[in-house]
Amino acid sequence: MPDMVSLSRAASGQPSQFKTPYSENGGTILAVAGSRFCVVAGDTRRTDGYSQTRYAPKVFRLTDKAVLAVNGFSADGNMFVNKVRQQLEWYRHGHARDMPLHEIARLMQTMLYARRFFPYYVSNILSGIEEDGSGAVYTFDSVGSYERDTCRVAGAAQSFMQPYLDNQDDWYTRPSVHYKNQRSTHSSSRPTQLPLSSVLSLVMDSFVNASERHVEVGDGLEIYVVLAKGSSLQGLEKLTGAQEVTATSDGERVFTVRRSLRRD
Amino acid sequence: MFLTRSEYDRGVNTFSPEGRLFQVEYAIEAIKLGSTTVGIKTDEGVIIAVEKRVQSPLLESSSIEKIMEIDTHLGCAMSGLTADARTMIDHARVTAQNHAFTYDERIKVESVTQAVCDLALRFGESVHDEDAMMSRPFGVALLIAGVDELGPQLFHTDPSGTFVRYNAKAIGSGSEAAQAELQDKWHSKMTLQEAQILTLRVLKQVMEEKLDHNNVQLAQVTPDKGFEILNETRLKSVIDLM
Amino acid sequence: MMNSFADRFSTTGPIAELRKAQANVEDDQFSDAAWGSEAGFGSLAKGVPAFTVPNVPDPSAFLRLHTDDHADPNCRIKIQHGTTTLAFRFQGGVIVAVDSRATAGSYVASGTVKKVIEINPYLLGTMAGGAADCQFWETYLGMHCRLHELRQRERISVSAASKYLSNLVYSYKGMGLSMGTMICGWDKTGPAVFYVDSDGTRLKGDLFSVGSGSTFAYGVLDQGYRWDLTDEEAQELGRRSIYAAGHRDAFSGNTCNLYHVKEDGWRFIGNYDISQMHYEGPTGTGTGYGYDLRVEGRTSANPPPAAAAA
Repeated sequence: MPDMVSLSRAASGQPSQFKTPYSENGGTILAVAGSRFCVVAGDTRRTDGYSQTRYAPKVFRLTDKAVLAVNGFSADGNMFVNKVRQQLEWYRHGHARDMPLHEIARLMQTMLYARRFFPYYVSNILSGIEEDGSGAVYTFDSVGSYERDTCRVAGAAQSFMQPYLDNQDDWYTRPSVHYKNQRSTHSSSRPTQLPLSSVLSLVMDSFVNASERHVEVGDGLEIYVVLAKGSSLQGLEKLTGAQEVTATSDGERVFTVRRSLRRD
Repeated sequence: MFLTRSEYDRGVNTFSPEGRLFQVEYAIEAIKLGSTTVGIKTDEGVIIAVEKRVQSPLLESSSIEKIMEIDTHLGCAMSGLTADARTMIDHARVTAQNHAFTYDERIKVESVTQAVCDLALRFGESVHDEDAMMSRPFGVALLIAGVDELGPQLFHTDPSGTFVRYNAKAIGSGSEAAQAELQDKWHSKMTLQEAQILTLRVLKQVMEEKLDHNNVQLAQVTPDKGFEILNETRLKSVIDLM
Repeated sequence: MMNSFADRFSTTGPIAELRKAQANVEDDQFSDAAWGSEAGFGSLAKGVPAFTVPNVPDPSAFLRLHTDDHADPNCRIKIQHGTTTLAFRFQGGVIVAVDSRATAGSYVASGTVKKVIEINPYLLGTMAGGAADCQFWETYLGMHCRLHELRQRERISVSAASKYLSNLVYSYKGMGLSMGTMICGWDKTGPAVFYVDSDGTRLKGDLFSVGSGSTFAYGVLDQGYRWDLTDEEAQELGRRSIYAAGHRDAFSGNTCNLYHVKEDGWRFIGNYDISQMHYEGPTGTGTGYGYDLRVEGRTSANPPPAAAAA
C-alpha cells in the first residue's frame, strides 16, 4: 500500500527510478483444438539471463476439461495460475458445479484486466472441452483481451511455430480465414480437422524444430491431451509415456505425455 | 407467540433465552399482512401471480408493481413490505448482471436466490465501514421464479434469509388457505396453462374482491421466452378459461 | 451518495490514483467478495471495478515504461493494437464495418478479432486502440445498459450509453487507457452514432472512422457517402472502405465484418476476406477492387481515357 512519503512525492510530480519487477523466462507454449479433443504443450526450460532450470512446467491442469498454459514471466504466471485455481474452487462452492470452459475464459479476462495498471507479464492460452463437447483454444494478451481460436502459439518461438502450423493442411474449420499463402492450391472441400495422432506428431515436430533454432526452447516437452466425453483413446494407449491424470468421473479425460528435447 | 414477548424483542442482535430472535419472527409476521402471492412450477415453466389490493377507485392499479423482472430468465413476486423488496430485487439484478459480466453465463436460479438471502442477513450493527446496511430485517418474502440448466425452478425466501425450493407456494395474508388448495391440486404433470388457471383459482378463493384483470397480475418464466408479465388481453383470456 | 458519485467522475492525477490503489489493495484478498454468492466477482464486488496498481510513486509512468510499444519497440509487455473501424448514419440506419487484424508490435497477433462488440440487441460498439480496454469497458457498458433497462423500464438511448462510457474512461484519464470507439444504435431519436475515446472526447455525428487505417477508409467513405444511399449501396460503401484500409494500412487487414443497425436492432451482414475482395470483389462478380480491372487490355498505345487526355 502506498505510504505518505510516496504519496507526497507522486503529488509533487518528482521523477523517480524504479527497478523493473518483470523478467522474461523464455520458453514456448502451444495449443490446438480438435473436433472432440485438444492438445496443449509447452517446453520445460526456464531461462533468466544465463541461469536456467531444466524442469519448470508451464502447462497446468485446471479441471478435467480445462488446461491453462502460461508463458512470459514465470513468477507472474505461477501466481496467476494459483489465483485462477482459487477462483474455480470458490465457484464450485458457490454454484455447485465445475466452471465450464467459456466461463473460465471470461473470468480470466476480468482477472487479467483487474491488473490493467500493473499487468501480469504473461501470455495465456486456455484450452479444453466446451460444454458441447468441442475442443477449444482461448488466447489472451497480458491485460485480458481474448478470443476463441483453433491453434495458437505464444512465447519465444512464436514467430517460428505459428506460421509453420498455420500452413498445415486441413487445420481449420473456417476456410475463409486462413491459408492466405496457399490459396491457389486449395479447394474449399477439405477435411475439417486433423486426427489426434497427426496433431501430436505435429506438436512434437514443432518443438523439436524450435529447440534446434531457439536458445530459450528445450530440455523437456510436456503435452496435455484432453478428450471429450465418450471419445475413444485414438491411439493414446499406444503412445509411450502417456499417463492419465483425470481426477473426476465427469467424462472428460486428461492425459500427459512427456518427451525430452535438446539439453544444450 | 406474543405471550413470550419480553425484553429480548427489542434488538436484532440478541437471542432470547429460548434461542429465538424475536425481531426476525415479527418480520415474518409482517408478511402475513401482505397481499396473497402464488407461485407454481411445472415442467414447461413457472407461473407467479399476485393480488393487487386496489383500495380506492381513484388508485391507478397499473402503478402497483408486485412482480418484477430480475433478468431475462428470472422473475420475482413479493408479499409484505414491498418497499423493502426494491432493495433486494435491485441487489438480485446487480448480482445477475455481475455474474453475466464475470462468467459470460446466465446466473443459476439458486445462486441469485442465495445472493438475495445473503443480503437479507445483513442487518444489525454494521461491520467495519460497509455501506447500505439495514438496521432491521427486511419485512418481505419473495417467490423467485426462473429457468436454468436444471429446468424451471421456484424458490421462496423469507426475512430470516432462509430459502427453500417449492413445486407450489403461497405467501401473504391468504397463504394458509391457498397453500392447502395448492397441495390438493398440484401434480407433477401439470401444463403451463393448467398452472395459470390454478394460480388464479387459488387467488380468487382468498380474495375479498371479485377477481378481474385489474386486481391480479400474472407472470411466467419459460425456457423459450424467459420472463414475461402477461398483458391485459392474455390475462383476460386466462380469466375467461377459469 | 452524491459525493461518492462526484468523486468517481472528477478525479485525476496522482493523488486520485493512489486513492484508487489503496481501495484496491484492501479489496484484493480479504473482502467479503471471497465467499458466498458474490464469490469471484473480485474487482467488481464493490460495484465499480477496482484495479491493482504498482506500489511506485508514479504508476502511469511505470505502465508507460513497460507497455507502450510506440515509444519503445523493445518494451516487455506488448498490448494488441492497430485497426480500421468505421460507422455512418444514413436514411436506412447505421452501417458499422471493421477489419479483423490485431498486431502486437510488428507481429500479426490475430486475423480473426471481433472488433464489433454487441452491447445489446440495439447497440453496437467498435474496437480501436487497446483490445482489452475496448472489450472490457464495452462489455461493462453492456451490463449497465441492461441495469438501466430493468430499473427505468425502457431502453437506454445511444446518447446516454455513450455518455456513460465517456464518463467512465474519463475517470481513468492519464492512466494509460487507449480506446477509440463508436457507439452505434437506434433509439427514440432514430439512428445515432457517437464517437467516444479514452481522452474523454465524445462527439455526435453522421460519419466516423477510427484507427491506423482510418485515413484510407475516409478517402473512400467521403467520396461515396450520401444520406439517401440505399441499404445495398451503404453496405457496399462500408465494405469497400474497409477493403481500401486493409489494402493500404499494414496494421489493418485480414477480413471485414459488416453490421447494419435498423429500427428493430442490429443484424450481422457478413464476414468478407479482404484479399479475396481484392481479386474477386465482395459479391463474387469476379471483378475485384484491385488494379487488374483498371489496367486490363491497356498498353501505352492504348492508354486509359484519363491518361490519354493528359
